[in-house]
Parts: sequence; C-alpha cells; structure tokens
Amino acid sequence: MKQRFPGFAAAAAIGLALPAWAHHSGAAEFDSTKKIDLTGTVTKVEWTNPHAHFFMDVKDASGNVVNWNLELASPNVLIRNGWKRNSVKPGDVVTVTGSPAKDNSHLGIAQTIVFPDGHKLNFLSAFEDNP
Amino acid sequence: MNRTIAISMPLAATAAAGFLLAQTPAPAPRNAGKSQPEGTTNIGLYQRQPRAPTGPAPKLADGTPDLSGVWLGGGSNDSDISRGLKPGEQLVMLPWAADLLKTRKSEEDPEANCLPAGIPRGSPYPWRIAQTPGIYFILFEGNIHSYRQIFMDGRQHPDDPDPTWYGHSTGHWEGQTLVIDTVGFNDKFWFDYAGHPHTEKLHTVERYTRTDMGSMAIEVTIDDPGAYARPFTTAGRARLMAGTELLEYICQENNSDLGHLSGPARGPGGR
Repeated sequence: MKQRFPGFAAAAAIGLALPAWAHHSGAAEFDSTKKIDLTGTVTKVEWTNPHAHFFMDVKDASGNVVNWNLELASPNVLIRNGWKRNSVKPGDVVTVTGSPAKDNSHLGIAQTIVFPDGHKLNFLSAFEDNP
Repeated sequence: MNRTIAISMPLAATAAAGFLLAQTPAPAPRNAGKSQPEGTTNIGLYQRQPRAPTGPAPKLADGTPDLSGVWLGGGSNDSDISRGLKPGEQLVMLPWAADLLKTRKSEEDPEANCLPAGIPRGSPYPWRIAQTPGIYFILFEGNIHSYRQIFMDGRQHPDDPDPTWYGHSTGHWEGQTLVIDTVGFNDKFWFDYAGHPHTEKLHTVERYTRTDMGSMAIEVTIDDPGAYARPFTTAGRARLMAGTELLEYICQENNSDLGHLSGPARGPGGR
C-alpha cells in the first residue's frame, strides 16, 4: 500500500477547483489546492445520503495504517450515472486521487478511483472519461 | 514520500468546476465521455439520460395543462439568486439584509443541515407535480425529501398563518400557466447557497408554464418588504427527465460533512 500524501502542489493555471455536486459547498469542506493520491484496501462503504462514503486503509510513510474516509456524490446521483452500490466494496484495492478536507482530518473527496485492472470511476459517474 | 502534481485534473472536471448547481439557466452538461450513446443526453449532473420526447405540451382530459413527469431545475439560481433574475429585474437588499449576507457561514446553511430549501431555491434533484382534484402536490426528491401542497379549490390564505418552511400555497390557472401564490413563510431558509435572507413578510408568486413536452418555464416573484427594497422576479427553466423516477433521499441519514464545513457561505463549486 502506498500513500502519497501530502502531495501538496499549487493549483494549476487551468483553474483547479472542486467539483460541484450538491448539498453544501465543496469549497467549504475540501482544499482544492491540495491533492491526495492514496492506494489502499477498502474497509467499509456507506451507501447513504446526502453523500456516499467509502473507507480505506492506507499505509503512511512510517508504515502506520491510516483509515481514510473518502467522499462521493449522493447515491441518487451515482445510481443515475452508472454506479452500483457495490461498484466499490470492502476488500477492493484501489487508488484514489482527490483533495483532502481543510480540517486535516483523514477525509477527502475521491475524484478518481482506479482499480488494478485499469477501470475507473469518479466521484460523480461511472461514465466519464477519466485522466 | 512522492509529491504529486495538481495539474492532473481533467478538463472535464475543470468544466465541472464552473458548473454550479444553478437552476438558471439550464446548466451546461459535463463531459460524459467520448461515447455518448445514441438517443441520450446530459441533464444537470445526470449523464446518458434518455432524451425527452418532443412535441407540444400535453393536456389532461378536461383540457387543463398536464404538468406531470419528472422535472429537473427550477425558477431561480440556487447558487446566487441575484444571478438568475428575469431580464430587467434588480435585487436590492435592505442594509440589514446585505450585512447579514456578508456574515453567513457555509455550515449555517439550512441546506447543509438537511433542512428544507423553501421557495424558490431549487436543488440538483428532480421533482414532480401531482395534479389531483382541488389540490396539487409538488414532490421533492431532495433537498429535503418532502412535499408542498397547493390548494386549487378557490380557498383564501388564512388570516394569520403559522410561519412554515413552505408557507401556505393557493393556485389557479391563467391560460396555460399555473400560478401559485404563497404566504406564511418562516424566515429560516436561505434563497441560495450564498445566503440571501428573507423575513416572514415574504410573499411569492410562482408561474409554471409547460412550453413543450420536455420543458417548463418558471418565474418567481419575490416580494419581501422586510428584506428587499422592492419586489423582483427570477426566471428559470426545468427540463423533463424522461428516464428516471424519484428516488429516496433521506439527507438526515448520514450528514457527516457538517462538522467539516468552514468559511463563508458560497455555492457548491466555491463561488
């Protein structure tokens, strides 16, 4: 398991910003100028409103396991955009990129989720082309 | 520890950043991939949705306009109501309201607290109108998972209604337009993510016109002499979502974000 965090870098000139997805201001919760890049094993999925979350064990640079809480859009949005409630499930090993919460808790928005076979999901959709 | 480079955001997401969950005008679709399936379209946050059937607006057996269907979007800009005004309209706040707007925080937003959006604030979730004799219902998927009742039997508003989130609504038809008049609001909800306030003096007049099978024009006149110097009217458009039904949305179930919110009130995309 790798953890590349904090991978803080200045926002790109193209205008790095948080996705809009409902319910509350993403900018009030996540810091779009910072980036997370985490690989680990999914331990739990909360398929609940107003946002779905999954939790993932990630080893930090010291070898300590940290359980990250990763946020997605609401199940209602995800379902209509091709996700299923078990698209991410406990035991899956995935790599997540996104932005961390501003309060430095182990919470982040999962903007991209990549599986070992290469297939990708994002915080909003199973349809979109990912980077 | 490797450093990562933040420039890896996809252009699609960059476009999404500018896509606030605005109800006016109809939001631009995100990039839903290289292969948009035939016969599908993007509506708001929702991708690859079946295209709405075309044709004239339908009518019920008695000739009344038929507003049925699952709709997305509303009559105002829910990020900032001042950005969704009908051409020529002006929003002029009284000084106390302008001061309050500047001090509101994201975590105080009723929306973020799973409380009702009131009127006219929309949401990224679809809604329905159910037309039954003497009473219409507006059913919201979110936020919150609730309903309004519109009395169509000719009754008047109560003399002294208890203030509520959705107020007391009566409706009538003016030609092809459903006109809903509402008073009796509480002062708790916000008009938008930005935090535009109002008072219990608020009186709204909504005008719903199904202009064709897949589209509904919505205007809302906001008259609140307690917070605004004069009435103003918003304008927006809802689109038919032909391929979905309302889903359950219980915001209170897992609203774990609230404790992580900070900073001034602003829209979902940060503006």
